[in-house]
Parts: sequence; C-alpha cells; structure tokens
Amino acid sequence: MSKFSGKIFTVAKHEFLKTISRKEFLFMTFIFPIFLAGIIFIPALLVSTASVEDQKIGYTDMTNSFDFPESSSNEGLSVGPVGAKTSTIYFVKYENISEAGNALQAGQISSYLVIPENFLQIGIIELYASGKGVPIPGDELMGELSDIVITSLLKDRVDEPVLNRVKDPVRVKMYNIGEGEKPAEQGLAEVLTNFGLPFLTAFILFFSIFSASGYLLRGIAEEKENRIIEVLLSSTTPSELLTGKIMGLGAAGLMQVAIWLLAISLGSGYALPVKIEPALLFLSLGYFLLGFLFFASMMAGIGAVTVSLQESQQIGGVFTFVAAFPLIFMQLILTKPESPFAVFLSLFPLTSPVAMLARIGASEVPFYQIAASIFILIVSIYGVIVLSSRLFRAYLLMYGKRPGVKVILMNIRAGNM
Amino acid sequence: MHTVEFEGVSKSFAEKDVIRDISFSVKEGEIFGLLGPNGAGKTTLTRLLLDIIKPEIGEIYVFGASLSSAAKDRIGYLPEERGLYRKTKILDILVYLAQLKGIPKKQAQLSAESLLRSLELYEYRSKKVEELSKGMQQKIQFLSAIVHDPELVILDEPFSGLDPMSARTIKDKILELRDTGKTVILSTHMMEQAQTLCDRILMLNKGRRVLYGTVDEIRKEHGKNSLIVEFAEKEGLNVIREISGIKKVTEHEKSAEIFPEEGTNIQILLEELVQRAEILRFERALPSLNEIFIETVESAVNE
Repeated sequence: MSKFSGKIFTVAKHEFLKTISRKEFLFMTFIFPIFLAGIIFIPALLVSTASVEDQKIGYTDMTNSFDFPESSSNEGLSVGPVGAKTSTIYFVKYENISEAGNALQAGQISSYLVIPENFLQIGIIELYASGKGVPIPGDELMGELSDIVITSLLKDRVDEPVLNRVKDPVRVKMYNIGEGEKPAEQGLAEVLTNFGLPFLTAFILFFSIFSASGYLLRGIAEEKENRIIEVLLSSTTPSELLTGKIMGLGAAGLMQVAIWLLAISLGSGYALPVKIEPALLFLSLGYFLLGFLFFASMMAGIGAVTVSLQESQQIGGVFTFVAAFPLIFMQLILTKPESPFAVFLSLFPLTSPVAMLARIGASEVPFYQIAASIFILIVSIYGVIVLSSRLFRAYLLMYGKRPGVKVILMNIRAGNM
Repeated sequence: MHTVEFEGVSKSFAEKDVIRDISFSVKEGEIFGLLGPNGAGKTTLTRLLLDIIKPEIGEIYVFGASLSSAAKDRIGYLPEERGLYRKTKILDILVYLAQLKGIPKKQAQLSAESLLRSLELYEYRSKKVEELSKGMQQKIQFLSAIVHDPELVILDEPFSGLDPMSARTIKDKILELRDTGKTVILSTHMMEQAQTLCDRILMLNKGRRVLYGTVDEIRKEHGKNSLIVEFAEKEGLNVIREISGIKKVTEHEKSAEIFPEEGTNIQILLEELVQRAEILRFERALPSLNEIFIETVESAVNE
C-alpha cells in the first residue's frame, strides 16, 4: 500500500470507528427501526386484539318495531402473526328502562340501548353505560345497529338483493393491466409492495444519507472549531483528509443501510406479505453510495467555509430541506410516478436518489431515465468534489470570520488555492 | 546541512502581502527563533513550511529537497491555535496522530506511552481530553507534536497560557530535543524567551525580514557602545565626573550607563575607576532583543 492510500486508510478507519461508537449512530441503527416498526404495527395489533372480548348489551325498544338478533359475531382484522379473532355481541331485551338499568347495576350487561318512540323522525338511539367517561360504541356495534335498522325498515318492501346493496352499497377491486398480460388483481400485498415498500426504502435512504453526511459536516466543523484541523493538515493533504473522511463515514452509513434493509426483509417476511426484489436492494445500495458521495462532498465544502458548528448546521439544513422534497411529495411520486414533477425530482441531483428509488418501487421506470439520473448524479458528484476541495483548501484554516459570498466565488474561480 | 531553506518566498492573501521576499536557513540541531509581533507573518511562514499553503514566488527546501509527503512525516508541529478531540482518550489521540505521520500502530503506542511517562501523565492515558486540566492538555498537545520522533519540530508559541511549572517542563523538553540532535523552530512574540533559548533568530515585521543571525551577533550589532558600571556605594557615581574620555552618563541609584568618547581605551577607563571606587560590576551594555525589536520597528515606521 502506498503512503498516500495508507494515510487515507488511517483517516477512514478513525472516522469509521468514531462514528459507529457514537450514541446517536447506535440509536439510529438499532432503536430507530424498532421504533418505526412499532409505529406501523402496534395500532394494527391493538385493533385486532381489542375486539376479542365478547359483550352483553341490553336494549329497550319503545317503538316495538325492530328485530334484534340474539347475538352477532364479527371477524376481526388479521395482522401479521396475530390470527383473526372473533368477537360476539349478545343482545338482551328489556321491557322498560328501569329493568335495563337494574341489569346494568347488577353487572349482567355492559351497557344498554334505548330506541325512543320518535326514532323514525330523529334517528337517534341512546346508549347508557355505568362508570365515568363517555360510552363510545365500537365499530361492530354501529355496524350491527345499522343493519338492524335497515333490515327492520325495508324487509317487507324490497327484495333480498336490494336489501343487501343498501346494507353494503359498494366495494372496489383493483386490477393492473400489464403489457400483454392478463389483468392481475391487486390485493393488500400488492398495495403494500407498490406503495409501502418504496416509501420505506426512500425514507431509509433519506435518513441514512443525511445522518452520514451530517456526521461529516459535524466532524469537520468540530475539528475546525477545536483547531485540531491544523495538526491534521500538517500530516495529510486536504484531499487525503477529505477522501478518508468520506470513505470512513460512507462505510458506516452503508453498514447502517444494510442493517435496516436486512431488518426490513426479515421483518417483511414475518409480518407482511411483501417480498423485496434483489434488484431494488442493489439499486438502494448504489443510490445510497452516490447520494452520500454527493451530499458528503457538499457538506465538506460547507463545513470548510463556515466558522462554527451551529452555522454549518444552519446552512446544511437548507440543502437538507430541499433534499426532503421527495418525502414531502411522496404521495404524488407514488400515485403519479410518470408526472413531469416526479420525473424532475428523480433527475435533479439533490433529490434524485430518494425520488428515483420511490419511482422504481412504484412503477416501471424506463431504463434511460435511471441511467440519466445516475449519470447526472455522477457528473454532479465530480463537480461538487472539485468545488469542495478548493473551498476545503482555501478556508479550512480560516477561523473567526466567514468569508463573503463574493470572495468565495472568486476563490472557486481562481482554483489555485 | 540546512534543515530548512527559504529562497525569496512571497505569499499574499486576497491581494494583501503576508510574506514578502523572505530568505533564511535553519541549521541542523539548532533552536531557531521565528520572532515578530502578532500579524508579522510567523504563522503563515510556518504553514508554508508545512506545505499547508503554497508560496506564490520562491522556493522552500526541507531536509535538502523540495517539500514532499515523506518530508512532512519527519516534521512535528505544535500550532498556536490549540485543540484536541475533546471526547477522545489521550492515548488514542497520540496514537492516531502518530499513525497519520506513518508510524505503525504498535510503535506509536509504545512511543506515546513512554512520552506520557516522561511527563508523569501515564496514569491519565485513558482519560478523555475534556477531563484534564488546561495545563495537562497543553502538555498533551506538546507531546502530540513529538510523538512520532520528528527530526524537525516547529513550535508556535509553545509557552502561551502555561503556568511557570509547566513552562519549565516544556522548556526542558525543548532543550532535550536540541541535545538529541533535533532541529527546533520556535515561533514566538515573547522576545525574552527567544533570547535565552534560541541559537539564531529571524525577526519579521509586516511580512518582511528585519533581523537575521545569531542572538549574540544581533545584540552586539545593535549595541549602543555603552558600558554599565555598578558601584558598592552611591558616592561612586561622583567618581565618573573625574575621569576623561566620557561623552555622556545616565545615572541610576548605584549604577550608571557610560558612553565613552570615540577612541577611548576601555581598559584604562576601568583601571581608573577601580583606583577611585569599589566596583561591583563592569560590563558592556547589550540591548535586549525586545529593545532591538522596538527600535527596528519604530525606525521602519519613521521611514
């Protein structure tokens, strides 16, 4: 190994080890996916487990015109490993309100309903429960009541199919007509693959690129702030230092992305009926590398020009905001992946890694567009590296006062710093 | 052999000259002082020497050749602007910085440990920088400049902010470096220190070379050709008036600065004084570097 690459390797190793031992990095890598999974799955689990309890509900029908069944069963939602559970509502008839009230006090029923005499005019049914708080009827009870009312009002006036359509008016089934293929039905798995997965991958890409290039920015600003940069530059050239830093942090970021993708593929096999295409995985890693190189070089330039950590983060934040556009407009990209705006975002280097990956997940992106986005990204990376290393050389040792925009432009043009 | 040679070097920033046409050389094994007030161009000169910035005009030779990455590895540098990674253990910092100079990790570790022992800091090796006192941090910073056993050590204001005890430790270390054959460049605006430590000096003012040579030569050159006489009694001062060949006298409590007339034999003058009064001290008055510096700068302003 030549001396040149030896120093780059020393810097890269130092940066890699420093980054992966940061508390924030460990948190983002291991706790964040769990947290994310929690946000997605816990509500679903709660819904499916909440409906397993059977309940007894009393009722007093003052109009004497409704037919309540003795019981009604509902199948809960099936989510992941939790199988579908069935819950049952038992209806108990009471002749008057005081009887129902006594039963509620005695704990024989959990609540009771009162259908007032003028129900047909006002459309209100009263629900009584003991204890504090507002008794909120569950989805099952509401659905059942609606069915009871419709059936009781219409059963002798319309025939069975009409009655069923009034109860359950319409459902939509989705099909996708591929080229020369038979229309394929789009179920939950397909919807998740088409929308959930691209979103998740884009999201992951965004976070890993920005946390890794954020560490770079912070590292440079810190080294500048605590002046150790001068000692480092007495041992290495600015480009050795910059290359080493980008390599070390890139490796740390790549490791993070790999861990997240692994967690998703393991998790998705377990909890969601989704499979990740190997090509998508490969492209994700490729776009991570390119996106990271682009942002890391840009952050290095910003870190070199600014005089404090705080200032560098403020300026870096502006670019991060622009880069977050694909996440802000994710719905548009996923539903209209061929729209000019989505195509633009997937070609513009600040947003292309995240936007293109989302488009690839959601639709068939023409090959030339993928090639164009990669080409533009590579050209931009080259430009930013040249620009940043000039700034790096010129401003790394300047403390105290940030140069004006004019002077910076002059130095970039001069190029001989 | 010359360790460092500058030949007609100039450097400007934003069209403002910082260094103008500087030539000098540093001999192997000497302590060379780089002097001048703040803003004279000392730090720029140091950075040029380390290849952190490049000169516009002129040549710089280190160890007899143009600057290379290999030559940089043989130089140790203590910058004026101090700082270390605050949250890193001190042994790790020293090892990392030595590795950046091309020293293998094991060797770097041994060297760092032995240096820490020599300054009685070994027990703190696993402490983070932020846990150490400021004086200790300064010592660690000094060690970081010599951990890779460099042949040339550049120290920019090594004593600034040090308490007297720590300053003495660092001074002893600098002399030890010279005694083991290392070349030391000491950049400072504190003239007294330079006068006692340096073999030769280069004095800069506003980017230009104003003085260059051995400390003794420079002081003799700028001597006002006067003598200091100290008497045992105050009355001794009266004796001076009885002696001929004296142009001017500046009297102090028990001593006086005598300016002899041109052609006066100093030996005879001393004999005459000794016959008339008890003399405690008789010496040639040499200006301090500080006085020479102020005089030089003032005359430059008046020009």
